[in-house]
Amino acid sequence: MGVDLSVEVGRIRMKNPVTVGSGTFGFGREMADFYDLSQLGAITVKGTSLEPWQGNDYPRTVETPSGMLNAIGLQNDGIDSLINEKMPFLRQYDVPVIVNVVGHSLEEYIEVASRLDKVEGIAGLEINVSCPNVKEGCMVFGTTPQGTAEVVRGVRAATGLTLITKLSPNVTDIVSIAQAAVDAGSDALSLINTLMGTAIDPWARKFRLANVTGGLSGPAVKPVALRMVYEVARSVDVPVIGMGGIMTAGDAIEFIVAGASAIAVGTANFVNPMAAVEIIDGIEEYLTKMGFASVDDIVGTVS
Amino acid sequence: MPKIPYSMKGIYDCELIEQSEVSEGVWLARLMGPQIARSVTAGQFVNVQVSKCTDPLLRRPFSVHAAYPDEGAFSLLYVVIGRGTRLFQRICAGEKISVVGPLGTGFDLGDQPHTEHIVVAGGCGAAPLHFLCDALCEKWGCEHITVLAGGRSKEAVLCEDEFRSHGVDIEVATDDASYGYGGFVTGLLSEVIGQRKGNESNIRIYSCGPHAMMREVARICHESKVANCQVSLENNMACGIGVCTGCVQKIKAPHTQQGWEYKRVCKDGPVFNAEDVIWE
Repeated sequence: MGVDLSVEVGRIRMKNPVTVGSGTFGFGREMADFYDLSQLGAITVKGTSLEPWQGNDYPRTVETPSGMLNAIGLQNDGIDSLINEKMPFLRQYDVPVIVNVVGHSLEEYIEVASRLDKVEGIAGLEINVSCPNVKEGCMVFGTTPQGTAEVVRGVRAATGLTLITKLSPNVTDIVSIAQAAVDAGSDALSLINTLMGTAIDPWARKFRLANVTGGLSGPAVKPVALRMVYEVARSVDVPVIGMGGIMTAGDAIEFIVAGASAIAVGTANFVNPMAAVEIIDGIEEYLTKMGFASVDDIVGTVS
Repeated sequence: MPKIPYSMKGIYDCELIEQSEVSEGVWLARLMGPQIARSVTAGQFVNVQVSKCTDPLLRRPFSVHAAYPDEGAFSLLYVVIGRGTRLFQRICAGEKISVVGPLGTGFDLGDQPHTEHIVVAGGCGAAPLHFLCDALCEKWGCEHITVLAGGRSKEAVLCEDEFRSHGVDIEVATDDASYGYGGFVTGLLSEVIGQRKGNESNIRIYSCGPHAMMREVARICHESKVANCQVSLENNMACGIGVCTGCVQKIKAPHTQQGWEYKRVCKDGPVFNAEDVIWE
């Protein structure tokens, strides 16, 4: 008998602990050219808003040492396109779908959540609280416990789906924000979102991103992500999905023993479209070799 | 089981069978990759892992310069211009490289016989157009094809001999007037279209080169009302496979409020109809 790779995140039953980082996998269609999407533990699709968002001007990405900055601006076709075009495609696969939800106001988050509540094939919502609240001076919701709780409470009242709050690392005390999200009804947490940074061309003395700042991802952020996952996982009672620079099964194991019940492969999808399935195989191999019966056996076992 | 469309697109470990400097700073890499060689079309590209380290992290996109389906090989022609191409150039024949491809939407070769095809190349933009000439010759016959190849100087005009060996008509333009037509290749294009007055609706134009050059090609095509004009665009790419939405270009979209939308150069392109591009 093989090892038991399955994990549960809220009411989402994943056949293995591997999902993908929102925004690194589109809505699955392009990745389906490379492998059968049913192999994944879950698919987390790109951030989806009430109306289509056109995104930022370009250049939108720049490579940095062992990482990259992106300022896509959450370009997406909106919730109607998700429901009518993207979900029918994803329903062909035997895999839970987590929809990442973005909004510029509390009302937008709530409306997206309530409309997705009964859509077949959607297993959970990941709330991206790293969006600016346009009605409140563009303060990012997720940078305060109050702002985070406000969004989570609103969305919680609008849906019975498993709620995962995706935490921003660009804060002073991520644990207090994690606690606020859980207290407001979040069933799970995912972290980290990208770290805010910038890059400059010294010869032109110009910013390399049209948006000036962007989110850093890739192996460069892994130590920060790992520390935050460790601190949050030991402080809350809900499952944590760990992410930030995971390139290999070894990286994934580090997040799991730090306390993550599941992990997400993000920027690695750009470098190696097969990364997520290779990491699933690697986790299974690790557990077998080390004599563990299940993923749950090693969650949070770091000392 | 879900119905998964058959695709040759994949990640392949390709053996580098040739890595040679064809002129100063210009390199030709030939790789073994039967799946890519047999399915790639003109204007498509591959995404090459130039380093096995995490720095540089991302793959580098290269348009395909030629495909040899019988041998199972394909070639890339590139100018060493930055860190990625420098690392690529140092990989030796015999080594294996991870290649994702074939990627992107290539050139549309048209469906009307008796059309004249004019190919406008600027500098290393000649690479995908070389492959295009192969495809056009095979489909329509080389006698219907004219290549206008431009560069800053004689040395910067790539693939001239290869174009000639196809048997297509070729004219060269150099910015410094060191060879052929003196001036930008777009000036030459204006002249060539001018010589075909009254016959513009029978001309298809294909172009790849610097952004400013393609913008001028698009303007000339628009004014002279040629039947069709396609341009192969370039942009910073992170994933190359259409998932990150990083490499976008403003493309006309009459159904939207502002009249345009961002399209992905790596997936919806790199080849676009010049008329659809919002040139900035």
